[in-house]
Amino acid sequence: MDPRFIRRVRKIVGKEHVRCGPTDLEVYSYDGSLARGRPGAVAFPADTQETAALVRAASEAGVACVPRGFGTNLSGGSIPPDDGLVICLTRLNRILSIRPDRRCARVQTGVTNLELQNALAPLGFFYAPDPASQKVATLGGNVGENSGGPRCVKHGVTKNHVLGMEVVLPDGEAVRVGGEALDPPGYDLCGILVGSEGTLGIVTEVTVRILPLAESVVTLLAVYDRVADAARSVSGIIAEGIVPASLEMMDAPVMRAVEESCPCGYPLDAAAVLIIEVDGPAVGLKEQAERIRRICASEGCRQVREAGDTEERDRLWAGRRGAFGAIARLAPGYLVADCTVPRTKLPEALERVRLIAQGHQLAHGNVFHAGDGNLHPLLFFDSRDPDQLDRVRRAGREIMKECVELGGTITGEHGVGIEKLEAMRLIFSEEDLDAQRAVRQAFDPEGRFNPGKAVPGVARERPVVTSPPRASADDTAWMPETVEEACAIVTRAFRDGTALLPEGGGHWRTFGNIMERGLPILRSAGLASIVEYDPPNQTIRVQAGIPLADLQEALRPNRQWLPIRPFPGARGAILVGSMVALGACGPERMRYGAPRDLLLGLRFVSGTGRLVSTGGKVVKNVAGYDLGRLLAGSAGTLGFLTELTLRLSSLPECCRAVRGWGLLAEVASAAAELLRSNIEPTFVTASPLNGTTSGKGKQTDLEHWRILVGLEGFGETVEAQAERCAGLLADKGLEAEATEDYPVLDGPFSDHDRSMDRSPFLLRADLPLDKVACFVEEAASAIHPEHIFADFGCGRVRGGLTRLTEDAWDGLCGCIGRLDGHLLLEKAPDAFKKRRDVYGPFQPAWKVIHRIKDAMDPKGIFSPGRLPGRK
Amino acid sequence: MIAMCNRCGFCQVACPTFRATGHEAGVARGRVALLRALREGRLAWSTDLEEPLFACLLCGACTTNCFPAVPTADLIVEAREEYLEKVGRKRIHGLLFEHLLPYPERLRRVARAVAFGKNSGLSGVARALGLLRIFGRDFPRSEKIVGRMPGYALRERFPPGVLEGGGERLRIGYFVGCGMEIMNPVAAEASLGILREAAMEVHILENACCGLPAWSYGDREAARKLAAGNIEILSALPFDRIVTDCSSCAAFLKKYPDLFEPADPLREKANEVAARVRDMVEQVVSAPPPRSKEAGRIIVTYHDPCHASRGQDLVAEPRKILAALPGVEYRELPEADWCCGGAGSYALSHFDTAMKILERKIDNVEKTGAGVLATSCPACIVQLAYGVRRRNLPIRVCHLSELIRERSAPTG
Repeated sequence: MDPRFIRRVRKIVGKEHVRCGPTDLEVYSYDGSLARGRPGAVAFPADTQETAALVRAASEAGVACVPRGFGTNLSGGSIPPDDGLVICLTRLNRILSIRPDRRCARVQTGVTNLELQNALAPLGFFYAPDPASQKVATLGGNVGENSGGPRCVKHGVTKNHVLGMEVVLPDGEAVRVGGEALDPPGYDLCGILVGSEGTLGIVTEVTVRILPLAESVVTLLAVYDRVADAARSVSGIIAEGIVPASLEMMDAPVMRAVEESCPCGYPLDAAAVLIIEVDGPAVGLKEQAERIRRICASEGCRQVREAGDTEERDRLWAGRRGAFGAIARLAPGYLVADCTVPRTKLPEALERVRLIAQGHQLAHGNVFHAGDGNLHPLLFFDSRDPDQLDRVRRAGREIMKECVELGGTITGEHGVGIEKLEAMRLIFSEEDLDAQRAVRQAFDPEGRFNPGKAVPGVARERPVVTSPPRASADDTAWMPETVEEACAIVTRAFRDGTALLPEGGGHWRTFGNIMERGLPILRSAGLASIVEYDPPNQTIRVQAGIPLADLQEALRPNRQWLPIRPFPGARGAILVGSMVALGACGPERMRYGAPRDLLLGLRFVSGTGRLVSTGGKVVKNVAGYDLGRLLAGSAGTLGFLTELTLRLSSLPECCRAVRGWGLLAEVASAAAELLRSNIEPTFVTASPLNGTTSGKGKQTDLEHWRILVGLEGFGETVEAQAERCAGLLADKGLEAEATEDYPVLDGPFSDHDRSMDRSPFLLRADLPLDKVACFVEEAASAIHPEHIFADFGCGRVRGGLTRLTEDAWDGLCGCIGRLDGHLLLEKAPDAFKKRRDVYGPFQPAWKVIHRIKDAMDPKGIFSPGRLPGRK
Repeated sequence: MIAMCNRCGFCQVACPTFRATGHEAGVARGRVALLRALREGRLAWSTDLEEPLFACLLCGACTTNCFPAVPTADLIVEAREEYLEKVGRKRIHGLLFEHLLPYPERLRRVARAVAFGKNSGLSGVARALGLLRIFGRDFPRSEKIVGRMPGYALRERFPPGVLEGGGERLRIGYFVGCGMEIMNPVAAEASLGILREAAMEVHILENACCGLPAWSYGDREAARKLAAGNIEILSALPFDRIVTDCSSCAAFLKKYPDLFEPADPLREKANEVAARVRDMVEQVVSAPPPRSKEAGRIIVTYHDPCHASRGQDLVAEPRKILAALPGVEYRELPEADWCCGGAGSYALSHFDTAMKILERKIDNVEKTGAGVLATSCPACIVQLAYGVRRRNLPIRVCHLSELIRERSAPTG
């Protein structure tokens, strides 16, 4: 390595924090995978500034970089490029802040997952992703790989819990992306960075969602004589509408290994066990456990044991968490596959894995996240024997191929890295890969961040941006009835450089900075069929133009639904594609997530007229960049959505709203208490007591508010929670009102929504959870909203305004900045848009958004001018 | 054994040096990877290896966290031996292992001289002249870890020989560890008192160093010589038990058979000796001294010496002893079994790392709110006492024996 570069690196981080001797390079040549590389130097920056300086130096010297935490990666993602610079983040090991009142923690990325959990537990909180290697897996690695863990069957993976980050981009600029408030303006940059395997940026600090620990937990060990019975029980449990906190499976070889290294009480004569855990409010939990017992018994389970105390529970989990390591007893090496299949395909997948292992004369074992179909077959071998190594690699590839055939994917949580690079072609076409390469190029045009990982090949030649698109002369509206037709329309627009405005029902045509000016419209309503509905797996593939109401109608016979109630707007009428494109959802997001959290796969027509697929139909999938995250919420600026695969839920048995009213401060204090408690509300909202009766010349009374707490789920659980909740409201001095049950699909808000929707200005403010009342007081009283609605659970305030001066808007922007939130005018007259950006003042992260737009829509044909910064 | 490491990296959570430095060469996975690279010819023996090999505390925490239980500490010791052969050794170590440690009388004389120098301020002069640097690169800085030296050695007051005790029948040989003898004769005296309560007679042995320092340094030949000499002394007399109040000595005495090949006649003798060796902690648990009636209330916490917890699996015993002492409120120390960074003379040669490890330890001690920090290894006591002194904490660091002796009612 160039000594001048080493000198520069030494100057940045200090001599003692650079290593480049032969022993140093040897110990940074590996990670937890089988891959190898040889770096030129290893640097240990102290903070974001030093990291940025290192990246700048590397960029100027043309040196490739790879970020590294504790180097436990299982796919080769942290293997250094030859002669590259390893940027090791172990010194970034501080927890910066924990805010239970905001359900947030800000943490440097060299902190391990378990260190964060240990800091949260005494406060009664936890961070949901819990990879089995949490003792030694840093949050930086969790972010890079989009880690899951046993608990993600209920709570989702890393990307569902990252709110913001500080990231050093490949040009050496440090940018803040997102923050404690939800939905920052523009694209979901956190969403694309999580799981990008260190190829798009180096994350030095992360803001994550934390949640109150469940009131109660029941851990069951179900013992089986046949592997297939265990696998069938898994889909049986989920199909019943039970959402276990975790659902893990382990087979005999793995149990034997675990018992030999640390006895955890697994039955050595069984073929397989399931570790099933349900948590939540204590009332109703026993009944859930009872239902699970019945399902297991009906599938031929030999015995179900319940952990009697925490000690027994810890022991069961200790074995599970240490299983990979325990395998080390059986053979000096193992390859762990990481495929995901639809849950119903588990028995078949396990059988195929068995045959492949047998065919290659390899011993194997299984320990995996059965609840989300994420297999981890372990193939044992001796790394000193090249023949075994070769056989194991071939078997690994065959397993991926079989799982893809079963409708699955090549990696659920360990990442693509080096080892699965070629396997990416099993699931993606060159067009699909090109779209991913375009994203990479947007971030890292020189390709110097973790080269040779995550996405195979380099970008093929792409057209250069020539001139801004023209609106076509005639005021056309296209409504393709086939995907080919849609591709043809976009291809033509691309060739001619004319603009296109994708839309669903037309309700949000002027969303963002776009104005009424007769752009040609590309409507999705002609693509409105259900492609594939898989009730036992709780997934559905639909075309983008299907109305949400039709979708829900189709799901109802199976007692399932898509748990979103878009708000405001005509809920049933909204098309599923628009809902995803706009990220439209209601306060129930607190519990069920936003559309992007339920989006498993996506097809869209790209800015060059190609049909691109991303994701799949399995709930855990980290193969390639998550373009779905970019497209969801991109409001028709990156592509035309044609088909979506969505994750469904069982319909809750009961939906009940607890109500009470009082002064704003009392309502806010009750909401804060609820968010700290282990009551699990579906939403916590409030609106002025007279909010719905406001008329001309009459101002909304902002002093008295009604709080509305939604509770959804099994009947007995909801009932007990409603009681606790009512008690809590009374303790906070609120006047009690009768609880009322509401319809699942419509929710309790309908009248209110529709009237807010008619205001000429529709304001949305996103804030840290504890700042909602503060914003209402400081800002809303200055702008006299006609309607106002506070969502405490999501940290969001919506207002419908009759008028809004630019001065008042500028004042609001200042106010929201001080509160660490951001604003969006979802609706505003053209006259206003001409003078102000509806997303507020410029932010550095917007540059990244614009680069992505340029890369994915090179001629800028989709919805020109809509994005923050009027791109 | 080297090939058993599958690089899962779980050792990183438990390795004190890794947590202090964040560097892969400072953790079991990295060290084992280097050994493998040496074996597979990717790396040549050179001074580059000194730091990774000699910066290991040998605390063994990695092995406890390792599913295939790769015995990294043993592998490191073997590698150190090879390093000394292939790269070279320091003269000072030959002096120490071959001319000082085998001769208790010489060692006591040197200790007296050092104590005189230290307590009279002369070591400042020596430091200025750079004389102390011969002990290791960091010695001039780290010499302050050792506070005032006692100025006498145990066996200067209690010469080797037989002391009568108040017990029936039991005959105990008291193995005098160098650390206890020179650095902590007061605690050693307390131990002696406890032993005399329990035994009919206590033999104060004329043993030499147990050999652990030489073994740790990788000089296994020197360690074997020391062991052979001690085995001769220990097997000469028919003790029922051989007790030592230094957990490091106790762990190493129990390990004596491993030092000799199966065919070596010394191995059989070593087995006989090892079978009779007891840590003071075991002795006290088997024969608890009578409780004193009056005892002020104190809050006590306990640090596990590596050689007690992982070396001898003595975890419950010391806690049981402390909890039973009159007036004692026992509080568990977070990460009690994490190495304190003392690791024999480690702190003297790797000052910065040792201090980072110590800081973590003392942070934990402070969390307990204890007024007394007890342990059972003289090297830990020196290190912990320094940590407490650096922060001016009102915490007494002492040997378990001292607390036991103070809070029991002597019958004699």
